[in-house]
Amino acid sequence: MSESSLSSLTSDAAWFESFSVGQRIRHARGATVTDVENNFVSKQVMNTAQAHWNEHYLKDSPLGSGRVVFGLITASLVFGLASQDTAENALAEVGCDQLRFKAPVHQGDTVHAFTEVLSVEDSPDHDDAGLVRFKHWGVTHDDRVVFEGERTVLVKRRSHWADR
Amino acid sequence: MSTTDFDPSTFASVRKGNAFQDFAVGQVFEHHWGRTITDGDNAMFSTAMCNWNPMHLNAEFARGHGHPDVVVNPMLVLCTVVGMSVEDLSEAGGPFLGVEDCTFHLPVHPGDTITARSTVLDTRTSASRPGTGIVTWHTEAHNQRGEMVVDFRRTNLVAMRRDAS
Repeated sequence: MSESSLSSLTSDAAWFESFSVGQRIRHARGATVTDVENNFVSKQVMNTAQAHWNEHYLKDSPLGSGRVVFGLITASLVFGLASQDTAENALAEVGCDQLRFKAPVHQGDTVHAFTEVLSVEDSPDHDDAGLVRFKHWGVTHDDRVVFEGERTVLVKRRSHWADR
Repeated sequence: MSTTDFDPSTFASVRKGNAFQDFAVGQVFEHHWGRTITDGDNAMFSTAMCNWNPMHLNAEFARGHGHPDVVVNPMLVLCTVVGMSVEDLSEAGGPFLGVEDCTFHLPVHPGDTITARSTVLDTRTSASRPGTGIVTWHTEAHNQRGEMVVDFRRTNLVAMRRDAS
């Protein structure tokens, strides 16, 4: 692939210049958490806590019956649902902070993602990209806020990357 | 032995995990197993999590940004590091409360092998939940070259062992 075709693979959107502090985004798609996202991935990442993949383990517990979703899978899914609108033209994921798992998520729940832009700053190490800090929320189909967390992304500047 | 003779009470149960009383500030856990993260792991995880970003799924695009291959979704790295720490830190029970100050120091590429260790930062009892404590750890993960790829603090509720105070 020649470098000149890189920008043809991503949308002309979600550049560093696209974001402003306070901007709020309700992402278009929700995703239902099934065996694939929770049961399989919990084992794939070697999470040995069987509450995530043993249907009968938590029967009648305070967390509710059935398989409870590994919190970082909820976080990963929220970040994923937000990724096209926040990281379409990212250079790198820098980190995350203040991740909070507010309520249990169970297999069969559907998760939607919401985002607010917290800060937009130059990067001391990059002329061609800047740092955007987002706050994300994960909300279920029945309007329960199950996750909150902040995430920092190094986002390309359109001025430097749109023609590459 | 026929199945009609089967009596589960005659088998010794294997216990996994640590209780609140097992954690002391400064204690270090070198977590089990390690994990080579493959291209398949990353493709499976990134697609399942609706993260179709070409940096994670298009190797030519990633090479165009100076990487030798796709960049492993950093949330897969974080999930795997926490996963490997669960038996030592949180399997014995208690909800995951939060993650603070997680930094992805270096990209991980398919074929990299990650190992994890944690240090106990804080232990305290929970006034509102008798029988339960709150423990905070600092967890760090390194690749096969000894370079730190991610570190963060994690806090969990941890059940107390019932036969002790």
